[in-house]
Amino acid sequence: MILAQLQIRGEDDAGDSCVADNGFCPSWIADNWERYQDPFLEHLALTLISVAIGFVIAFGLALVAHRRRWLIPPITQITGILYTLPSVALFFLLLPLTGRGKTTAVIALVAYTLLIIFRNVITGLEGVPAEARDAGRGMGLTPRQLLWRVELPLALPAIMAGLRIAVTTTVGLTALVFLAGAGGLGEEIFNDMQFRSNVVVAGGLCVLLAVVLDLLVLAAQKLITPWTRKVAT
Amino acid sequence: MSATFAALGEFGDAISFIFSERENQRGSPVGGSHNLALLWEHLKLSAAAMGLAMAVALPLGLILGHTGRFSFLTISTSNVGRAVPSVALIALFVAFFPRSPEFLNVTLALALLAIPPILTNAYVGVRQTDRDAVDAARGMGLSGAQVIRQVELPLALPLIFGGIKTSTVNVIATATIAPLVGVVTLGDPLVAFSVYGREGQIGASIIVAVLAIAAEIGLSAVQRAVTPEGIKLERGPEGRARSRFGLTKRRIQTAP
Amino acid sequence: MPPTHTAQSEGPSGYREAVELEFAEATKRYPGADSPAVDGLSLTVPAGEICVFVGPSGCGKTTAMRMVNRMIDISSGDILVGGRSVKDRDVDELRREIGYVIQQIGLFPHRTIADNIATVPRLLGWDRPKINARVEELLDLIGLPQDMSKRYPAQLSGGQRQRVGVARALAADPPLMLMDEPFGAIDPINRERLQNEFLRLQAEIRKTIVFVTHDIDEAIKMGDRIAILQVGGKLAQYATPSEILLHPANEFVEDFVGADRALKRLALLRVSDIELGPSNGGPSIRDTALVRDALSDLLQHGALHGNVVDSGGRTVGGISMEALARLAKA
Ligand SMILES: Nc1ncnc2c1ncn2[C@@H]1O[C@H](COP(=O)(O)OP(=O)(O)OP(=O)(O)O)[C@@H](O)[C@H]1O
Ligand SMILES: [Mg+2]
Repeated sequence: MILAQLQIRGEDDAGDSCVADNGFCPSWIADNWERYQDPFLEHLALTLISVAIGFVIAFGLALVAHRRRWLIPPITQITGILYTLPSVALFFLLLPLTGRGKTTAVIALVAYTLLIIFRNVITGLEGVPAEARDAGRGMGLTPRQLLWRVELPLALPAIMAGLRIAVTTTVGLTALVFLAGAGGLGEEIFNDMQFRSNVVVAGGLCVLLAVVLDLLVLAAQKLITPWTRKVAT
Repeated sequence: MSATFAALGEFGDAISFIFSERENQRGSPVGGSHNLALLWEHLKLSAAAMGLAMAVALPLGLILGHTGRFSFLTISTSNVGRAVPSVALIALFVAFFPRSPEFLNVTLALALLAIPPILTNAYVGVRQTDRDAVDAARGMGLSGAQVIRQVELPLALPLIFGGIKTSTVNVIATATIAPLVGVVTLGDPLVAFSVYGREGQIGASIIVAVLAIAAEIGLSAVQRAVTPEGIKLERGPEGRARSRFGLTKRRIQTAP
Repeated sequence: MPPTHTAQSEGPSGYREAVELEFAEATKRYPGADSPAVDGLSLTVPAGEICVFVGPSGCGKTTAMRMVNRMIDISSGDILVGGRSVKDRDVDELRREIGYVIQQIGLFPHRTIADNIATVPRLLGWDRPKINARVEELLDLIGLPQDMSKRYPAQLSGGQRQRVGVARALAADPPLMLMDEPFGAIDPINRERLQNEFLRLQAEIRKTIVFVTHDIDEAIKMGDRIAILQVGGKLAQYATPSEILLHPANEFVEDFVGADRALKRLALLRVSDIELGPSNGGPSIRDTALVRDALSDLLQHGALHGNVVDSGGRTVGGISMEALARLAKA
């Protein structure tokens, strides 16, 4: 092992044969539950902040590009490069600019979400049926009203789909921000990668968080796009 | 002003780390040509994981797509796959198979990460092929295997390569954390600050970034190359107008 | 010299002989459905004729047709192609002998027009020169210029694509063709053109054809015989177009063919087909016009008589409202 790892199996666990055998130990998990609480909240906060910032930027870019179509290829290209850049590499590439810590982590995570959200907003807006747009214009809506009352509502399913992908992916990536010194559940995993109980709990919490956030976004989508709900026939 | 210069200065050091050898604090040589060994290990690991993932996911995706079965399951794997953190997956393998070689463990973990996008894209690619073309093919007497090989596979190729591209870039990125469990890839300078120093961290990050972007660009070119000419035409502006025409046509058909 | 009909014969002079198609109590029950989609269908299509399946949406036309090439399994009863049960045949082999055209056309977008047309000949292992010759011949037959053979489906208009679909189905010179609403997605003007082209083609190739449509006018125009299906997959009437127009078997058929069946009947005939009286003047009517159009002409002019002329403008006889009324009633 290259980095000295902090063994989280404490002195007082020495007598526990389950822990000693590196088993999957429900009793250890029950005793050490609070250990994961702060990293979990940290993980959650980093995810939400990053997705929120990413959404605001990407959504804004998409609205601008929706008016000036020629902007779509260059924005796609640039956000595409940010998306392709491995986050881990980005953590260190940012070192000279923002140092180690949460700022660096958030910048890298935001960089990753931009393309996902931008592409989905654009796809959603492009998918608006021409008839709906025509009808809106025919009723005398200004371009601005058309955007907010017709196009964006109809694009919502695609936008929310992008948000779901962004959220789940970001939860996964946030597990790496410990490399930038920003904590999160990944740090707990890293602290004792050989201890099964630890890996299962910390990893499981990540997956759980992703699933719950995904379902929340999905629920929000159903709530704000009632017309997409299937009607029983 | 001076802060910017300092920043540039660190990138300058990093670039020199990439190209020229030096001694680290412990007196062993790093940087320059020594990066090649790291690069080689990185590529070997990525290739092994991708090879394994493709061997599993491609046939499975094609067959599932052809039969149209297990749609929910196939689509779900990619959603779940996104939520599983790479570091947790690698740790799981190391924790549960402590006796198997690290390289194998990491390869398996990376392959597992790479499977969902390939599987889903192959599945969706096949499902998305014009079902009428498939119906016509069956009606003309093409056997199941002939339908897959002559119709579904060529039409799904762009999406299939899209999946391979996504996974490859992802695997190259994730191979960076392999040194955490002792597989010495290009991520080594990133996690072993004390050995390589800051210029090593940044330098290796640059190499990883370039590698990922090169893979993205290269595989995008392959993707374009395998896209059948007739499909490109369908997608062009003219083609798009046609498909809009197609929509109106379909509406006429369903009118009572 | 009598034309030789061999399995491999090609060219306008030597098409493979058409076969008779027989439905014998053919029934399809979809799993989970309460009633059959096709219910004891029995009818015989003589070799070389077009049989049109027509009826309201969901009456089982497509199902009945797709049982022939076993795209859908027959639940009970049988279908005989050239006297042989389709159930006894190897399914891929059977399909390669039956031309298949669907409304959505289903051209392979990644293959050129030539390659699309060559699909079945390739499956049958024809050699390259023979395939190329066949493709050329078919392009001529459907009236597309040869240089279109290198194009992709995306570069063709809807009507052109539909014609390629027909050519592809004809490629291996199948004795039997199944066509499911082949012109359903085409605008009325082009549909009319394709219908005429297709009838001209059929006069030459004389295939046995099952043609599905839900448009009674198309059925009357295209069919040698028409099978009118009722929802629930029951055969309401199977007869020639004029028979159906003259003697609808029941109320359903009467409703389905419409209140204007007398007019539709007049549309089956040309002026030259009917007995002409002496000319009593009136507006000029070409002898090749449809009788219905002649009637329309007379009404337009408020005339009781028309003067029938041939291509040279010479009077060949006269047509009267009275005669038309008799004809429509007959
Ligand atoms: N795969 C299937 N599974 C279950 N029921 C089916 C299936 N295909 C068709 N049906 C049902 O069988 C009946 C006949 O369908 P079919 O497609 O043959 O009708 P059709 O006459 O071709 O109608 P249309 O003019 O709309 O094409 C319909 O009630 C339809 O709902
Ligand atoms: Mg139908």
